[in-house]
Amino acid sequence: MTEEKTKGVSRRRLFKWVGGASLIAIGGQAFFFLRSCIPNVLYEPMKRIKIGLPNIFPQGHKFLSAFRIFVFKEEKDMHTISCVCTHLGCNVQISEFSQPRKVKHGDVEVEETFEFVCPCHGSRFRADGTHYTGPAPTPLPHYKMEIAQDDGQVVVDKGEEVDKNARLKVEA
Amino acid sequence: MKSGIANRLLWSWRPESPREANDAIVKNMWLHWFPSKVAKRSISFSYSFWLGTISAVLFVILSITGLILMFHYTPSMERAYTSMKDIDFVTSYGWFLRGVHRVAAQLMVVSVFLHMMRVFYTGAYKKSPGCMGNRPSNWIVGILLLMLTLALSYTGYLLPMDQLAYWAMIIGANVAASVPFVGEQIKMALIGGTIIDQNALLRFYVLHCFLLPIFMFLLMAYHMWRIRKDGGLACVDQISLRHGNGVASPVSTKTYSLLGITSGMDIRAQTLSQIEEKDLIPSSPNLVRRIWLVSLGTMVITILLAIYIQFPLEAPADPTMAPNPAKAPWYFLWLQELIADTTFTILGMTVNGAFLGGIVVPSILLALLIVVPYLDRTPTSNCGVWFPRERLTQNIIFTVMVLLVITLICVGAFCRGPSWVFYWPWEQWPVLPVNF
Ligand code: HEM
Ligand code: FES
Repeated sequence: MTEEKTKGVSRRRLFKWVGGASLIAIGGQAFFFLRSCIPNVLYEPMKRIKIGLPNIFPQGHKFLSAFRIFVFKEEKDMHTISCVCTHLGCNVQISEFSQPRKVKHGDVEVEETFEFVCPCHGSRFRADGTHYTGPAPTPLPHYKMEIAQDDGQVVVDKGEEVDKNARLKVEA
Repeated sequence: MKSGIANRLLWSWRPESPREANDAIVKNMWLHWFPSKVAKRSISFSYSFWLGTISAVLFVILSITGLILMFHYTPSMERAYTSMKDIDFVTSYGWFLRGVHRVAAQLMVVSVFLHMMRVFYTGAYKKSPGCMGNRPSNWIVGILLLMLTLALSYTGYLLPMDQLAYWAMIIGANVAASVPFVGEQIKMALIGGTIIDQNALLRFYVLHCFLLPIFMFLLMAYHMWRIRKDGGLACVDQISLRHGNGVASPVSTKTYSLLGITSGMDIRAQTLSQIEEKDLIPSSPNLVRRIWLVSLGTMVITILLAIYIQFPLEAPADPTMAPNPAKAPWYFLWLQELIADTTFTILGMTVNGAFLGGIVVPSILLALLIVVPYLDRTPTSNCGVWFPRERLTQNIIFTVMVLLVITLICVGAFCRGPSWVFYWPWEQWPVLPVNF
């Protein structure tokens, strides 16, 4: 003991120090390396997108594959539903009924002409995006729409979800 | 020395005595990792079916063909698909190269899985009385090797960037994202963004061509080293037990280490020294010859299958439309089936099947596999024996699990039609409108 004291640091303490320092050095770097894999900037398509003037959209639906959305127009009301299945992200497709079907949304019964079907694991969604069978856990999201101030085009904001009853009023 | 043209050409020297046969192993750079003598039983086909060696040979084939494929393949979103098409149709023998790689990959999944089954049914994961080492840990290493094999297959079939690849990436990334709390971070780290793009492809490429193979190589080396430290294959323990030696006491002997001859304990000191000479044969030529035979057989079968089976790519990746039905490769179909069937709602909370079927169930299976050696309390004396009565229950449970996985694969492969609807194999699928 006395001998060790004269030497300053005991061997055991030195081991502890060096060992601890190595652990921190390696652990810290491992964290940095892992963290570096999570990008800080995404060079990806914008979430807010201009999709064209309201009058180019037909009554009924139009599938904008590049943006992975369905755009609906009924009279002068427009809304947008995502085509990305909430289960694991496949693109759902619209499956038209040969005859309109009566379906229940809670207590109200409405007539619908189509539904969404996911090819990957068979989830099905009502026309308003509500999931009713298959593994999808949540409804298809509706996205916020507005009219651009500068050129009057319809803008869809895929970063912002809205209620399924929200509609954008358009002129034509 | 035997005469004959083959002998004269292929053997410059042939061991005349056991001592020389010993040297033939120890002094050879490639062979020294084998013991100089092995128990007859442990090189018999009926004990191990040589499935571990077959897996290792397949890995070598995959490494070589993969290396050459790397010269031809471009990991870029624009060019990956066309470079694959070039390999198939433009490069001389490119189709063969790709075929061998593809066949070997699938065979490896099969052989590694069968190897695990063999180890299970022979109870070779147990620490037996004759074994000073730690077989349970080698079982766990084995499970890691199985995981790595599957991870290599997954990252491999993503690379061509066809429809299969693209939607498999989407599904894989979203399964990762379904983990509570940190899911989104894991997904981001995996694919380097929120959508499948160049970042994702590059990451999977580096994983497939570098990181995973390196891990595989290191773990395989450790796996083999462990086998020797555990006293050879489990069946060897039976021989020492039969001779009534019971637990062998370690004997200090001379052994070769990196630094020359040191005194210490080697495996023969612990087990084989208890075995009589008549149960042992020199590794050279017996073991070497069989390894050669097994390697050759594996290679020939792989080549024949590669020539016979076609592996057409699917259509180029189309982010706007998933194929219908979109099926994973056969060895992942059971997971796809689980993912599709396990969403449930409890107390108003919906749990995504992605999390349950894609993460929770596989983790439980994995955990069960890992604890197998520690749960098994049957007598250790039947370690290294096929289907002993004492392990009937374990074997039945294991077989049922394996059959379940196989059933799920069959359901996914033969009974799922468009939109993942169930059809019997003989039923006609409805004709789908092409445009939606
Ligand atoms: C890349 C995959 C693998 C390779 C290359 C490999 C290689 C080998 C080899 C060459 C042997 C010698 C006996 C034989 O050929 O059967 C062996 C034995 C063994 N393997 Fe593997 N293996 C792999 C995966 C696994 C897996 C998935 C498991 C189990 C989960 C496993 C557990 C074991 C055990 C416990 C032994 C000792 C068997 C005994 O003592 O009888 N291995 N392995
Ligand atoms: S991704 Fe749509 S059901 Fe699985």
